Amino acid sequence: MTTCTISPLLAENVGTGCGENAYKCYQCKRCTSGCPVAPYAEMHPAMIMRAVQLGQLDLVFDDKFIWLCTGCETCTTRCPQGIDIAAVMDELKIIARRDGRIPAGTPSAAMLKLNYDSFVRWGRMWEVELIARDVLKRPKSVTSWLSLGPKMMLKGKINPTIKRGDTLAMKRMVQTAESITRAKMVRQADAADAAPDASPAGAGGES
Amino acid sequence: MSKTLAYYPGCSLHGTSGEFDASFRASARKLDLTLLEIPGWECCGNTAAHSINRLLATALPVNELAKVEQDMKLDAVAVPCAACFSRFKTGAHEVAESAETAADVRAVVGRPYDGGVSVQNLVDVYHDAVGLEELAAKVTKPFGGLKIACYYGCLLTRPPKVTLAEDPEYPTHMDAVVKAIGCEPVDWNYKTDCCGASLALTEQGIVDDLVARILNDAKACGADAVAVACPLCQVNLDGRQSEILRTQKDWQTIPVIFLSQLVGRAVGVSDKELGLKKHLVDVMAVMA
Repeated sequence: MTTCTISPLLAENVGTGCGENAYKCYQCKRCTSGCPVAPYAEMHPAMIMRAVQLGQLDLVFDDKFIWLCTGCETCTTRCPQGIDIAAVMDELKIIARRDGRIPAGTPSAAMLKLNYDSFVRWGRMWEVELIARDVLKRPKSVTSWLSLGPKMMLKGKINPTIKRGDTLAMKRMVQTAESITRAKMVRQADAADAAPDASPAGAGGES
Repeated sequence: MSKTLAYYPGCSLHGTSGEFDASFRASARKLDLTLLEIPGWECCGNTAAHSINRLLATALPVNELAKVEQDMKLDAVAVPCAACFSRFKTGAHEVAESAETAADVRAVVGRPYDGGVSVQNLVDVYHDAVGLEELAAKVTKPFGGLKIACYYGCLLTRPPKVTLAEDPEYPTHMDAVVKAIGCEPVDWNYKTDCCGASLALTEQGIVDDLVARILNDAKACGADAVAVACPLCQVNLDGRQSEILRTQKDWQTIPVIFLSQLVGRAVGVSDKELGLKKHLVDVMAVMA
């Protein structure tokens, strides 16, 4: 018998994070028919929306779909209910990272973090650093650069240096934004604890 | 009359797309536009921030807008990178829509932003800040009917509630710009389909599929070249062709040119300054 992890708070947490009401989705699948990456994962945008409504954590977080989402905004543009579906995908990425639910075989999740760390470190994102750190983490990825990388270098497409932004201002903004976000999370968790019959979003319960 | 715009180049134009920066600046000079780069600008947060820290993602572009409004005292900023443009428009939209977000962003940025800056992408600059008639009047080397597929990609027009694009499914304002410089825009089907964006760093197979589908349609609809207004679209549509060739031996290449390079060429900027030799798929054959 298979078990699945359910959290009745998933849709609520998505709503608190990004302001979107997942329950408005009635499964017309316009999002999915326009999604460029839907054919490359088990899940697709409409299935994700349904799983969020039902609090089906495993369906949402065990598949790589949310990590393939490029943020192209086609789903958001076409949703007849006006749901910002791309924002829901972003919020699910935030929850997955926070709750340690990034599945294996999703290099894009690590790449987003390398990217974030790069612009936090330098004030600007340093493309060469991303690729170098990715290769260190994932040595096999070097094969995908062996052909294109040298060609781009020969054409002078790759600028190996970086001109820093205002790194002090960047650090101050990152710290303030992270502390405001953390404070909101604590308030949200306190409110959830105060409510009857609630369980933490990530932990869920077996059913 | 000369116009002055603040200029936010963003990380890619200082990195893998130096020719986008160079051609945009050179075309602006010829079009009597003065571009003032925002001093000490920071990254707009790009694809990463909005999937890691939502508040930071909104605050970073708003911080740049506050600099333009209050330090530079200008009312418009040119943001030629489509991804940066999207972050700027989204940031401005979110602080205008929600008082709670505005208060949080104000705490992060350290000062308020009053919404007084118009954010213009590459097409907006030529279409609106310069104007089609003015642009056509400045053309010294018109293209003799070169057939161009205008590729808008995702973020020039989507989501329309943020970009206020009139027709996000089939935009035509870039088509009007290339027409003004003597090109013939073609009607085609993949104007606003995603090229795979940053998946090029991790999921190259998917990007190759998407790029091949987009370019095959451009070719089938008679285009000699594709015009783009996004550094990531350019690097994917141009660069992945050499990889596609490894598996599809009969692949016919098609040049992928920044709109700023086409406009720059038409208003008399030199080929060297436009960086026309930096493309992986040769563009000189169609630019001759």
